[in-house]
Amino acid sequence: MSEREFHPEVKRLLDGEITIADLPLELRAEGEEALRLLAAVDRTSVAVPAVTWRVMAALERRRRRLVPWLLVPALAAAALVLWIARPWTPERVASRAPVTVRFVLVAPGAQRVSLAGTFNHWDPRATPLVRAGSGDLWTATLSLSPGQHQYAFVIDGTRWIPDPTAPAIDDGFGRHNSVLTL
Amino acid sequence: MRFSSALAFALVFAAPLAGQQRFTGRIAAVVDSLGAAAAARGLPIDPVIEKAIEGSAKGISVERVTAALRAVVDQLDTAAASLRDGGISGDTIAIAAGGFAITAGLHGRDITDLARTGRPAADVTVGLRVAGTLTALGVPPSETVKLVSVELRSGRAPADLLALPGRVQADVAHGATPAQAAAGLARAAAAQGNAGGRNGAPPGKGGHPPHPPHP
Repeated sequence: MSEREFHPEVKRLLDGEITIADLPLELRAEGEEALRLLAAVDRTSVAVPAVTWRVMAALERRRRRLVPWLLVPALAAAALVLWIARPWTPERVASRAPVTVRFVLVAPGAQRVSLAGTFNHWDPRATPLVRAGSGDLWTATLSLSPGQHQYAFVIDGTRWIPDPTAPAIDDGFGRHNSVLTL
Repeated sequence: MRFSSALAFALVFAAPLAGQQRFTGRIAAVVDSLGAAAAARGLPIDPVIEKAIEGSAKGISVERVTAALRAVVDQLDTAAASLRDGGISGDTIAIAAGGFAITAGLHGRDITDLARTGRPAADVTVGLRVAGTLTALGVPPSETVKLVSVELRSGRAPADLLALPGRVQADVAHGATPAQAAAGLARAAAAQGNAGGRNGAPPGKGGHPPHPPHP
């Protein structure tokens, strides 16, 4: 089995310290390849025939060199979990600060209103809006990373509607998502 | 275990961690298959995953989510090819931005035109997002490309590009059509570029602050 030395930044990716989007462009292919290769490690158990102590010692020396990288499938999985646990914000690579955005919706008769989008993995329970006074005005203020976000309001947990004041695009399901470009 | 299987595994089992079932096993299998094929072609898989999560959250049927995922991959393929024609290859973030622009209504040739402005891929990426947003606001693709191209060619900073949708919205609020608003901004940008900095602000120092839709 040949060994390959990955770039230190790619190792950070495998360690879950950064995401693939944080890698410089020239390292992304290597990063994706590393994730692919390391996740492809066959972890099924195998029967080891009797071997001499010398061979075992040699294997042990090799194992010591490889131990950190034997952990990479788990680390890679952890990195992937981290990767998808964070919103898709490619502009994260830039050092621009988060932007405070206020969302407002007039929803007559609504009992509850929430916000679902790429910034909260479309979870309609994650970001409730607050009713302003006793009226029909609902608001939420979020700190969002620069980049592009798509979202919709969810009324009473079931009715998804786009933001009437924002640009909207086809969501591919016969409805529309609002677009926020920061 | 293949990369794609590991990915699907991570996606499915990440869901309970967030207290929400992100998507079903059937959709995970589709993501697995489409994601692996997309990654093998150098396409970003984030948009595929996001669309699967979105479809599940909205309660969309597996069949319809599958169709939407295939459409996303098709758009990414078109974006990648168009960017390649414009001289930008292998940048998954730019490809994702191109995919968004196509969803918004731009065509492959529009993406190629924007890529050919000679700007770095990061700037073209912002330009593609802004172009998609302008198109979503109702600006015709031809006017969108004209406006964003002239802004990119004149070396505008990303913050200036990001201000364009807000400026179009402001003009529309004053009675202009989206096409008129974009054409007016393109003329102004071209004139400013022709002035060569004698009368206008230098690139990146424009007097228009960003206007997110809901500041």
